[in-house]
Amino acid sequence: MATVKIGVISCSGEDCLGGTISRLATRKMMEEVRPGDAVTLCLPLFIAGGEEERGFAEAHPTITVDGCSKWCAKRATERLSGKVSDAVQVEDIIGSEAARGSILSTRQLRPEHLEMVDKVTEEIKKKFDLIVEEFAEQAMTIKLC
Amino acid sequence: MSKQVNIIPCSGIGKVHGLLAREIALRLVNEICSEEAKTECLGYIVTEDQEIADRIKASKCITIDGCPKMCAAKSVANVGGTIAEEVRIVDILKGYRGIKTGTATALNDDGWNIVDEAAEKLAIRVREIYGEE
Repeated sequence: MATVKIGVISCSGEDCLGGTISRLATRKMMEEVRPGDAVTLCLPLFIAGGEEERGFAEAHPTITVDGCSKWCAKRATERLSGKVSDAVQVEDIIGSEAARGSILSTRQLRPEHLEMVDKVTEEIKKKFDLIVEEFAEQAMTIKLC
Repeated sequence: MSKQVNIIPCSGIGKVHGLLAREIALRLVNEICSEEAKTECLGYIVTEDQEIADRIKASKCITIDGCPKMCAAKSVANVGGTIAEEVRIVDILKGYRGIKTGTATALNDDGWNIVDEAAEKLAIRVREIYGEE
């Protein structure tokens, strides 16, 4: 579908439930919703990786997904790699109280948690598709010129 | 120094190894060693904010990394943390050659078995470090 690979970068989120939801929604984008078009990178690779990893947000339009209001994924990506195209805040979608709940193992996930993953994935998908449209319009404009 | 040991997994999102690291850490801090260990968010460590850097420096750390990039160990070192033990998932898996553990999204039964066994073994080290504090 997309002519451009779009980066989706999740926080690692070991602090709260929002981090688990963020991680799973990002995986869902890659595996089910936009396989092949959504690409990702581990957030700490901006420190531990090489030039290729640090240049990720310059090379790809990037959406960050943060599980809490510390905005670690967005802030770290913009400081260490490049400006992001858009950002998703899990707290805004499932509510602060739920997002800040205790972190869960994937073994403890219940149907309501999977519903949260679906809601966050839907929000990522909307932003993802908007970026795809923008790139398609840009490509069309260049072609017409 | 704080008594509790920081368990910092990479939580790598690309391969099952990252999920194994994350789940071993959660099994330790939520269940087996809930008094002796805690975790801090690796994403927050990557921001290099002073608040998290101070917290990391206040306790000894065990890092658990899923790939040779060693993101957790490097990120902890980057903010001045003391690493008492660097755990690599590839080393753990040497004892389980040929076994499929699931995906980066979900572990299978063999994956959960490895998480449980590895966490029990690592708990011994956690208690040693906790006792040294």
